[in-house]
Amino acid sequence: MPIVKLGEEGRWTNYHGTGTCEAATRFALRSGDAERGRDEIAIAAKSVQDWLAQAAAEKRRVRPLGAGWSPSNVNISSQSWLLHTRRFNRCFRMGADDVRPGIDAGALMLVEAGALVDEVSDKFEEQGRSLWTSGAGNGQTFAGASATGTHGSMIARGGIQDHIRALQIVTPAGIRWIEPDAGVMSDAFIAATGSTALRDDNMFAAAQLPVGSLGIVTALVVDSVPKFLVRPIQNLRKVDRAALDWLAAGDFRRFSAAYALDQDPDFVQMIVNPYKPFKRPAMLRFLYREPWRDDYPRATPGQLGAGYDALSLLGRLLNDYPWARGPLLQFAMKQGYASGPDIDAPPVYGSWGEGLDTHRPLADLFNASVTIDRADLARAFERICAVYARHGGSTVVTIRFMERAQGLLAPARFTHNAVIDFDGPRSQRTADAYARVVECLDAEGITFTRHWAKSCRLDAARVAADYGEDFRRWRAARDRLLPDPAHRALFGSEVLDNLGLTC
Amino acid sequence: MMWLGWALAALGFALIFGQYAAGQADIFVSIANPRPLDEESMVVTLKGWGFAAQAAQPFVTPESDHGLCDVRLFATRRQMLVAIATFGFLRPVTVAWRANAGILPLGDA
Ligand SMILES: Cc1cc2nc3c(=O)[nH]c(=O)nc-3n(C[C@H](O)[C@H](O)[C@H](O)COP(=O)(O)OP(=O)(O)OC[C@H]3O[C@@H](n4cnc5c(N)ncnc54)[C@H](O)[C@@H]3O)c2cc1C
Repeated sequence: MPIVKLGEEGRWTNYHGTGTCEAATRFALRSGDAERGRDEIAIAAKSVQDWLAQAAAEKRRVRPLGAGWSPSNVNISSQSWLLHTRRFNRCFRMGADDVRPGIDAGALMLVEAGALVDEVSDKFEEQGRSLWTSGAGNGQTFAGASATGTHGSMIARGGIQDHIRALQIVTPAGIRWIEPDAGVMSDAFIAATGSTALRDDNMFAAAQLPVGSLGIVTALVVDSVPKFLVRPIQNLRKVDRAALDWLAAGDFRRFSAAYALDQDPDFVQMIVNPYKPFKRPAMLRFLYREPWRDDYPRATPGQLGAGYDALSLLGRLLNDYPWARGPLLQFAMKQGYASGPDIDAPPVYGSWGEGLDTHRPLADLFNASVTIDRADLARAFERICAVYARHGGSTVVTIRFMERAQGLLAPARFTHNAVIDFDGPRSQRTADAYARVVECLDAEGITFTRHWAKSCRLDAARVAADYGEDFRRWRAARDRLLPDPAHRALFGSEVLDNLGLTC
Repeated sequence: MMWLGWALAALGFALIFGQYAAGQADIFVSIANPRPLDEESMVVTLKGWGFAAQAAQPFVTPESDHGLCDVRLFATRRQMLVAIATFGFLRPVTVAWRANAGILPLGDA
């Protein structure tokens, strides 16, 4: 039995300490040592199904857990059974016979749901392949990161869930293998995983981003691209207001030429101090993609500019000394971010995975964001900073860029997206300032969505309004997968019910 | 002479305040390619200026068959105040650690 019970009923707190599951019974799903991946996930899926039946019999709700990184508390459910998945983390290469004709098996990998993004990235790199995007850290599980639409700032890419080609989901009613209409895996392979095939574009688009509400994801088929190198440039520069227009228009080349290299960048991120965003230098990060070569000088994640932590150390100070917020934030930006290589430093290179790290727990963090149509950036950004600063927001403000992401509930639903993040030390004042930003965007008539994982205070009415027809399609897919309301309720929680996802 | 007294008092205060602030620093040690599970922690109280150590609970961590990923050592504000108020006789510190999920070799599907 790959599921083991971890101790008696007790409390479990998520990574950022934003939520606690009271009276929770903890279980862990563990990898076995079956020779073939399909056998391993068949055994695991059957155990999960039996475990779900037991939970239902004991009238307990269930909550699968990845790394527990979501501060929105979509990972919190009290009086429930929790399923920790991080030790269910094997990865398997595909054979040509495992896939349908016309599918490149060499690009795909079968991944157990609890494998960290870092693990998936490493295993791809072992095979000369790479993920094409991911978040700023890579310590989430692949299933957990996809569940909320985790994204980075690769300007021509969507979210991490875009890598998924097929997935196995377990509900009390069955073990399903979900793929798009065109199919990916061979029928024999799917049968060997103990699953029933469900080939349906709508269902697949719902399951790519399920927000933990469609059942327990046990395995994923993850796509990749050939391994590539990135050259980071990271510097502190005063950014001209006019540059926002270039970014809004997608003229990243011009932005890069002005502040870094005169080359097309693949990744652009701008971290600003909301207190005088154009007067104080912003921290800029660019990545330039190059073809892979084995003989590049290795660099540490720090030398490649990874790391995001200095700000959290200043949390208490920022909260206690409101008059000093602007200079303190600027000090933190200098300390925390300026270490990356600038244009005149000797170039450093790394693979996609080498430039990320798994993050270490530090002070309590606040994370929130809004995703807007990139075309609205120039109009929205200064207003956002002004409102946020006026109400005492004590974090930096980050702008990241991405294309429309896959999944019916993907927050990046505009053709071109600008994501504005508010990440830093947690305080009530910062949360209130973020709420004022949301009010301001509504008042200005600027359309936006919010991240499922972050402290964005969504509710069912707002979700329905933001996602419209896509939300209706998502619910229709859910009702097909979980026709029995009792089964839907099994995956419910206070937060998910409130979002209209599980009831 | 009065000023000398004040200067010494200020120096003493600065020394103690420095210890109070620095004692709350977070010392972090990690393995190179971590696959962390949930963090667990315990308080260890060093007694008699370090002659004896007493943990509130035994140092056992479930799920540690793949070893530990990382360990943090720090004192909270309250722990530092206890240490200062007892002239260092009691020195509570928090040890936090995350077990490792392990890295398994790439298999065949
Ligand atoms: C330090 C840090 C950095 C971050 N950086 C970014 C970033 O750059 N970009 C970004 O977009 N986001 C970012 N986030 C948010 C983060 O990516 C999301 O919270 C992500 O969902 C976390 O993944 P997880 O494995 O911790 O999932 P959890 O938080 O554990 O779970 C998320 C949801 O998925 C469900 N779930 C988990 N596993 C399964 C499963 N096997 N089957 C079914 N449901 C499951 C859970 O029940 C829950 O509803 C960051 C968060 C932190 C803490």
